[in-house]
Amino acid sequence: MAVGDPVAEAPAGQPGLKVSGLFHRFGELVAVDGLTVQVGPGEIVGLVGRNGAGKTTAMRAVMGIIRPERGDIRWSGHPVGPTDRLRFGYMPEERGLYPQMRILDQLAYFAQLHGLAPATARGEAHRWLLRLGLEGRGLDRVVALSHGNQQRVQLAVALVHHPELLVLDEPFAGLDPTAVDALSDILRAEAQRQAAILFSSHQLEIVERLCSRVVILEEGRVLAAGTLEELRARRPRQLRVKVGGSAEWAAQLLGVQVVRQDGDGVVLLLGPGTDPQLILRAAQACGPVQQFGFEASGLVDLYRQLVSA
Amino acid sequence: MNRIPTTRLIVQREVGERLHSRFTWAMAALTALFVVAIIVVPAVLRQPTQPTVVGLVGPSAEALAPALRTTAKAARVAIRIVDVRGSTEARSEVAKGSLDVALSLGPDSARAEVKRTLSPTMAALLQATVDQAHQKRALSEARIPLSKVLPALQPVPFSTRTLDRVTADQAARDVAAIAAGLLLYVSLALYSGAVASGVAQEKTSRTAEVLLGAVRPSQLMNGKVLGIGACGLGQLGIAAVAGLIANAAAREAVIPSTIWLLLPAILLWFVLGFALYAFACAAAGAMVARQEEVQAVTMPLLMPLIVGFLLTYAVAFSSPNTLWLQVLSFLPPLAPMLMPARLAIGQVAAWQMPAAVLIMVVSICGTARLAARIYASSLVRGGARLSWRAALRLGGE
Repeated sequence: MAVGDPVAEAPAGQPGLKVSGLFHRFGELVAVDGLTVQVGPGEIVGLVGRNGAGKTTAMRAVMGIIRPERGDIRWSGHPVGPTDRLRFGYMPEERGLYPQMRILDQLAYFAQLHGLAPATARGEAHRWLLRLGLEGRGLDRVVALSHGNQQRVQLAVALVHHPELLVLDEPFAGLDPTAVDALSDILRAEAQRQAAILFSSHQLEIVERLCSRVVILEEGRVLAAGTLEELRARRPRQLRVKVGGSAEWAAQLLGVQVVRQDGDGVVLLLGPGTDPQLILRAAQACGPVQQFGFEASGLVDLYRQLVSA
Repeated sequence: MNRIPTTRLIVQREVGERLHSRFTWAMAALTALFVVAIIVVPAVLRQPTQPTVVGLVGPSAEALAPALRTTAKAARVAIRIVDVRGSTEARSEVAKGSLDVALSLGPDSARAEVKRTLSPTMAALLQATVDQAHQKRALSEARIPLSKVLPALQPVPFSTRTLDRVTADQAARDVAAIAAGLLLYVSLALYSGAVASGVAQEKTSRTAEVLLGAVRPSQLMNGKVLGIGACGLGQLGIAAVAGLIANAAAREAVIPSTIWLLLPAILLWFVLGFALYAFACAAAGAMVARQEEVQAVTMPLLMPLIVGFLLTYAVAFSSPNTLWLQVLSFLPPLAPMLMPARLAIGQVAAWQMPAAVLIMVVSICGTARLAARIYASSLVRGGARLSWRAALRLGGE
C-alpha cells in the first residue's frame, strides 16, 4: 500500500528540502521508487524501513553522491547544487574519517571544505570537541579512538559548519543508551536552531521520540508518511474494553473485529465509521464496564501493521 | 578572513599529510644522496694519471734516458725513468709492480718486459726511442756527421685534437642519461603509486563518501594529484639543489655540458609524466575494494615506466639517434624517461622536445578526462574490485 501523501508535506513556499518522485535503480534492482519527502527548517523527519528499503540511496541522492535516474531534489525551492550542499551536513551509514589525521585538524578541514574561514573552522572544531566530551583528545589520531568516540567525531564532522540541512544515515547505530540520549539532545538542539534534519533508523522507538514526521519505506516505495498522529488516524483503531461478564457480547457487534482476548478484557478493531459510543452502550448492557479506551498504538505497531499488510 | 578555495584546501591537506610522514623525508634524502653520489663518486674515483715507470736495464739501455724523456715529453706522456742493474732484478721489480715496464737492449734488438700488457702508446714511445738510438749509432758508424742529420732525428711535437666535441664528455653524458632515467622512473612510480593508494585509502575508509557530500569528485581528484605532485616536484628540486652544491664542491666533477638543459628537463618531464600516470592511478585507486589490491591494479599501469627506464640504457650505450628510439621517445608513457635521456646525450633536435611535450599534454588531457569519469563513478561504489571494462562502462553512464 503506497500512500502518496500530501498531508506529510510541510506548508508550501517555506524553505527546506523537497524531494519528489525520486527513482533510482542499481542494474535491475529498483532501490527507490517514487519517494517524495519534505523537511522544513526545525523539523526532524525520520526515514524508516528495513535493510534495502531505499533509505541510504535516497540520502545519497540528496547529498549528490549518486545521481538519481529520475526525481526532483530542491532546496529552498531551487534544484540542489554544489553550493547548497556546502550548507548540508552528512553522516553516511558507513562511517568515514582519515584514520591517521588528528581529530582537531580533521574537524577543521571538513569545516573549511564547507566554506568556513580557517580561524572560524578551528574555533568550531574546538567547540564541538568540548560539546561531545572529547576535550583533550584533539591531537589524537582517529585510529586511536574507541568506536563510540569515532562515532562522535563523525557526528561532529556533520555538524561543525552549522548546516542548514542534516542528513544522517543510521546515526544511532551502535550507540549505548547514554550516547543515544546525548545524540537525541543534540538533534533536538539542532532542530531548535532551525536546522532541517532527515535521518534514518531501525530503532523505531527513537524515531517515535524524536521525529515530527515519519516516512515508512518498503522495497523502495513509500508505505506511509506523515506525523505519528496522522499515521495513527489512518489506521483502524483498537479499543480495549473490560466488562464484568463474558466477552460474547463483542462478537455480535457489527463493524467490529475481536483482535484478542485476555485477562484485561477484549481488544477490538473498529471498522471505518463505527461509533465507539455504540460499543460502550453494548458493553454496559452486558455488565459493569471496568475499562474502556483506545490502545496507544506506537510506531512499532504501525510499522508492523503496514509492513505485514 | 575568507574561505580557502576547495581544491587548494585539498592540496594543502595532501601536502601536509606528506610533510608529516617520515617516509617522504627519507625518500627525499635518498634521492638527494643518489644524485650527489652520481656526481661525487666518479670524481673521487678518478685519480690523477700516474706516470708510467720505465726501468732501463743495463748501461746500454740507461743511455736511452735523455732520448726517452724528450720523446715522452713531445708525445705528452708522463713517465718516470729508473735505472735497473740486471734483468733478474728488472723482472722481480715488474712482478712486484714497482716497474710498469723494463726495457733492455741487445746488440740488434730491444725487449720490453711487462707484467701483463703494454699500452700501444707506451710501446710506440719505446719503439721510437730505440729506433732513434739505433739510427744515431748507424749514422755515426757510417761516419756521417751527426750535427747535420740530428735535427731530422728530433721527435716532432705531436698532439691530438678532437673534432667531434660530443666525445669530450661522452662518458659523463651516458651516466647522466641513465641517472636521469632512473631518477624519473623512481619518482614517477613512487608518487603515482602514492596517488593510487591515497585514493584507495579515501575509498576504503569511506572518507570519500563524507568528502563528496561537500566537494565535487573532480576537485577531490585534482587536489590529490596536485598535492602529491607538488611533493614529488619538491623532492626532485631538493635533489637538484643538492646535486648542484655537490658539483660546485667536488673538484673535477663529471657534470656533462648538457646539465643546464637536463635539470629543467627532468623537472618538466616529471611534471608531465606525473600528470599522465597520476590521473591513471587515481582511476585505478578508485576501483579497488581493499587497500591491498592497489598494487595489483597499478602494476600494469606503471609497467611502461620500467620499460622506459630500461630503454635509457639503449639511449646511453647504443646509438641514441636510431629511428626506433627516436620514435619511442615520443610515446607519452615512455617520453618522460627517454626524452631527458636523449637530451643528456645531446641528440634531441630542436623541434622534437616541443613536439613531444605537445603530444604529452594532449594525452594528459585525454587521460584526465577518462580518469575523472572512472573516478567519479567508482569512488563511492561498494562491492568487489571493478575491472577496467566495468569501470569504463560505469563512467560512461
